[in-house]
Formats: sequence, C-alpha cells, structure tokens
Amino acid sequence: MKKLSFIAFALFIGAANAGTIEMKVYGLVCGFCAQGIEKTLRKNPATADVVVSLEHKLVAVATRDGQDISDADLTKALTDSGYDVKGIARTQRSLDDIRAELDRDKK
Amino acid sequence: MNLFRFAFAGLLASAATLAQAKPIAFSHGTTVMAEYGAGTMTEAQVFYAPKYFLSLGGGYLELESDIDHRRREITYARANYLLKRWNKEDSQANVFVWGGAGEAYVSELDQHQFAGNVGAQLDYETRRIYASVRTDLHRADAFSHRIDTLQLGIAPYKHDFDSLATWFVLQGRQYSGGIHDGTEWALLLRLFKRGAWVEAGVTGEGKLQAMAMVNF
Repeated sequence: MKKLSFIAFALFIGAANAGTIEMKVYGLVCGFCAQGIEKTLRKNPATADVVVSLEHKLVAVATRDGQDISDADLTKALTDSGYDVKGIARTQRSLDDIRAELDRDKK
Repeated sequence: MNLFRFAFAGLLASAATLAQAKPIAFSHGTTVMAEYGAGTMTEAQVFYAPKYFLSLGGGYLELESDIDHRRREITYARANYLLKRWNKEDSQANVFVWGGAGEAYVSELDQHQFAGNVGAQLDYETRRIYASVRTDLHRADAFSHRIDTLQLGIAPYKHDFDSLATWFVLQGRQYSGGIHDGTEWALLLRLFKRGAWVEAGVTGEGKLQAMAMVNF
C-alpha cells in the first residue's frame, strides 16, 4: 500500500517534469554505508547532484540539462550498491526544494 | 617493533571494511580500519570492494595472552563475501563470511607458521538499534584462536545521511586458546559521519577499547 501511495504521489507531481529523479529505496539505515549510493550515482555523467535521506528512504538525482538516466541504469546502480529500489519517479521538485523540505522536517 | 608493524599495517591501509560493523562497505569502496582491543588484540585491515558483496584485502592481527603473555602476530590476506542481505523499509540484516591465509609468528616457539582464517558475521540494524554476532577463527600448527564478539547498540536519536550518528554499544568478547579467561565486556561510544567512524570505551577491567575506520 505504501509503495502504491508513493508511486501515485510521484506520478502526480512528476507529470510535467524532467531533471529530478526520486527513488524510494529499502535498506537505507546507515549513512556510513549508504555513501556508496552517492558515490556510484555521481559517477554517471548525466548526474548533476544527489540527495540521500535515510528518514524518507529517498535517493534523489538531479540530471544535467537535456539528459536522463534510464530506470534500468538507476535500478542497477542502486542494486549494485546493495540496496533495493521500490519506486522511481521523475518529478518537478528541484534538489534545493527537496533539501529545504528535508530541513523543515528536521525542525 | 610490534607497534611499528601495527602502525605500518594501518598506514598501508588506504581504504576498507568494518571490524564490528560490516566487512564490506560498498561497491568500489575502500575501507581502512584499526582496532585496539584492551591490550589483548590489536588489528589493522585494508579492503577494497570490487562489488557490494565482495571485498579483498588484508590485515595484521596481534594477540597477546593476558594469562601467560604468549603472542601471535598474524599477517593475512582475506576475501569477505556477503552471503545474504535483507533490505527492509526501516532495517537491514546481513550475513557475511570470510576466509583467508597468511603467516603467523608464534612467540613461544620463536617460529613463523602458515596460518588460516575463517569467520562469519550476522548483523541487524535499524536507525535506532544495532546487533551483531561475529566469530573469527585464526589457526596454525601451534595454535587455534577463535574470537567471538557480540555487540548490541542503541542510538539516542535517528541520524541521517549528512548528520553525525551517535551510538552506545555494549560489547562482549570471548577468546579461545588461552588468550583471555572469561568474557571481556566493554561499553563503547560510537560516532560516525559519512565515511569516518570512531568508537572508544572501556572494558570491565578498565582497559581501553577503541576503533577507527574510514571508507572512501
């Protein structure tokens, strides 16, 4: 049910957008270990920026202008890092928006 | 001399694995670890992980009996393998196994011998609790030492990716083969942020137990 809600939410807010990819990831419990995800995604030439949130089980990637990363490549990157991807969505939120929202949630 | 060898092994490390954390950090990651175990054991390791389920490297382990002061200085190459991982929404559990071989100096014989090493670790963690059991066997013609370690940890708050993680850890450790009598208990404070990890505490006998680790 949570998975369906996440996908529905992502489809709703991502209907008109490119540039930000949000992934729901299981197994994100330790920042020390999850740094491999960021390292792997930043190696992709289409990646402009990466945000990881353990609290929201979220990995968000901003892609460079006119570029995209396929779902298959994203899933492979996360799986090869040792984690399970439960949803991928392209959204309109910028990574700055996401960071601001995460900061608000911390307060 | 022993201190020099230990420091040398630590410096050789330029990246790595987790002693009581995880023997494989992440794919294409290097782990460097050094541990001081209450004067009974001292260990340094360096591992590189070509895959998230495999890391290769080596280490140096020094064991000194607090019963009769026999000493082993073991240098080994080792492969760590993630046998099984369970990724859940708010938790992760792992089963690791490892095996390796190297050379051991046996103080009472003043000899160097071939030594083998096998081990396994089962761990479970959320962002608030951590538990692991680990067994590590080092064997040569002259000795057989198994180090069994239990760790139970609790975090006072949930850390996130870019914030400092704080853990309070209770550790119980037993050595076989005349290294230490009974269970060696220690209370540890563990701190980590991104790729840097330090922990330190005291054993029930008031001795220092400490570890530092870097992932990159």
